Amino acid sequence: MSVPRRSLVPAVLLAVALVAPLFLDARGYPIRVLTFALLFAAMGQAWNIVGGLAAQMSLGHAGFFGIGAYTSTLLLVRTGVSPWVGMIAGAALAALAAVLLSIPTLKLKGHYFALATLAFGEVMRVVAGAWEHFTGGPQGISVPFSPDSLAAFQFKATRPYYYVMLAALVLVSLAFLAVSRGKLGYRLRAIRANQDAAEVVGIGTFRAKLAASVISASLTAALGTCYAQLNYFFDPETVFGLAPISIRVALIAIVGGTGTLWGPFVGAAFLIPAEELTNHYLGAAVAGISQLAYGLLLIVVILIEPRGLVALRIPRLGRRKVEVAP
Amino acid sequence: MALLQALVDGLLIGGVYAVISLGLTLVFGVMGIVNFAHAQFVMIGMYVAWFAWATLGLDPLLASPLAFAAAFVLAAAIERLMIRRVMRAPPVAQVFLTVGLLIALENVALIVFGSDFRSVRTTYQTAALRLGPLFLSVPYLAAFALSAASAAALWLFLQRTWYGRAMRATAQDRMAAALFGIDPERMYQLAFALGAGLTAFGGAVILPYITVSPSVGGQFVVLMFTVVVLGGLGDVGGALVGGLVAGVIQSVSTVFFPIQLQNLVLFVVFVAVLAFRPQGLLRGVA
Repeated sequence: MSVPRRSLVPAVLLAVALVAPLFLDARGYPIRVLTFALLFAAMGQAWNIVGGLAAQMSLGHAGFFGIGAYTSTLLLVRTGVSPWVGMIAGAALAALAAVLLSIPTLKLKGHYFALATLAFGEVMRVVAGAWEHFTGGPQGISVPFSPDSLAAFQFKATRPYYYVMLAALVLVSLAFLAVSRGKLGYRLRAIRANQDAAEVVGIGTFRAKLAASVISASLTAALGTCYAQLNYFFDPETVFGLAPISIRVALIAIVGGTGTLWGPFVGAAFLIPAEELTNHYLGAAVAGISQLAYGLLLIVVILIEPRGLVALRIPRLGRRKVEVAP
Repeated sequence: MALLQALVDGLLIGGVYAVISLGLTLVFGVMGIVNFAHAQFVMIGMYVAWFAWATLGLDPLLASPLAFAAAFVLAAAIERLMIRRVMRAPPVAQVFLTVGLLIALENVALIVFGSDFRSVRTTYQTAALRLGPLFLSVPYLAAFALSAASAAALWLFLQRTWYGRAMRATAQDRMAAALFGIDPERMYQLAFALGAGLTAFGGAVILPYITVSPSVGGQFVVLMFTVVVLGGLGDVGGALVGGLVAGVIQSVSTVFFPIQLQNLVLFVVFVAVLAFRPQGLLRGVA
């Protein structure tokens, strides 16, 4: 939240982002990578509300993401409801799931919270695979084809999706800013700094964290719908998966610096192209090699700078005390 | 009667879960690290046993010490090269390092072994003992017996040997242990390797009734953490009880629900334990 460059930098970035696709092939590979980078930046930003501001390290955001993808797609397949309506339904369901998950888990800290949320995502994946007659099971599900239209949220070229994802990223970032600068943001930061002290001065810690996780979950589900429409096809592993979604999203926010507005932008700009490049050049050679490269990249980044992740996270907010695990 | 049978099966399967999870809880208890990659040692143990069977014709039960040894050596190297460097780093870094390891190990297996499901053939695979109205599956029984033996061996190690005592001392107070001439870093390495070895051992003994593939570890991630949390993260005795309880829950739940949903039931138990007994999550080894 630096004051001087505050409005100039975003304006320039936004202008570049708006103009850039005009110089790219509307159906080409580069614009597709950029579109995914925007989508994942938005997801990192949604995660940031709960993972950054409240410092609750969720490893289960795939659970919400998949709810969004499946809800809109199943509604579309079975009843022909527009994905935009499905998106709202998915967000509502994810909010409900977040409330149900939060009741038992919100008081957990550090490792324990990570474990509980990880289990949530994994179980959603298992259920989506097992509930075959409803979800299509492990074979996955396709978005039915329809002619180009914004109302149907379907386009043949990638360029329109690019602008939708850009809008989504801007909206999620505005939501993050609104939370961060509003009362809720102050409460969450107080909780992050010292939960007991926050409680003593009269902050309803449970309600604040619950609000953050509901907002984060419903935004993530809405992005799940975007993903389904962009990709046309998905299966339980691609939307509920631990490595493809939960970890990647958290990583994007963490690499860039959690709790900061620009963190997910930096993280997605670095990670998504890096993954795509390994996929592009190595993926066809041997199955698993691009995932291996991804895992190794993760290891190397952390070994080079294990504290760098936190060094990025602490700067503005009292760097004296690092929170100790429970 | 189906219920009683499920109960017996659950206890037998649960014994193996206990040993698989012992390794994880040992690592946490001594080092304070939650190793998300730990379930991959199940997969590694299974592959070692499979290759011992395919090339040497060795029964997986007899190959289980080999699995232990291979995982022990590999884990000692991983500890030295990676884990040691994040011991004092914040939990975020530890979580993501071990998650990176999880992804890397699974995909190394995928590249080296391919995505085929591999299983072994043994003479006792479908055999069962009759005990009144109940059937005791021989592979379950054998896996249970070996698991019980290895748990007993771990207990003896921790209680009766100098290394075991030194390891527990390090878990209690690293500084004090160091003052008594114990090298904490060596204890951490030993704990990590031992934990991985035990888990791989558990992987080998279940090979007669579970097929192995590069992604088999994923089946055990939630299960393992449930067992460990049930017993108290870092509590070795607790993991034994937790393993049996998880086995029974999983087995009995299949009597009432479709088999695909057994992990859902476990998850509910897992979250309930986290929610209602977090204070009961004990610390320290034994």
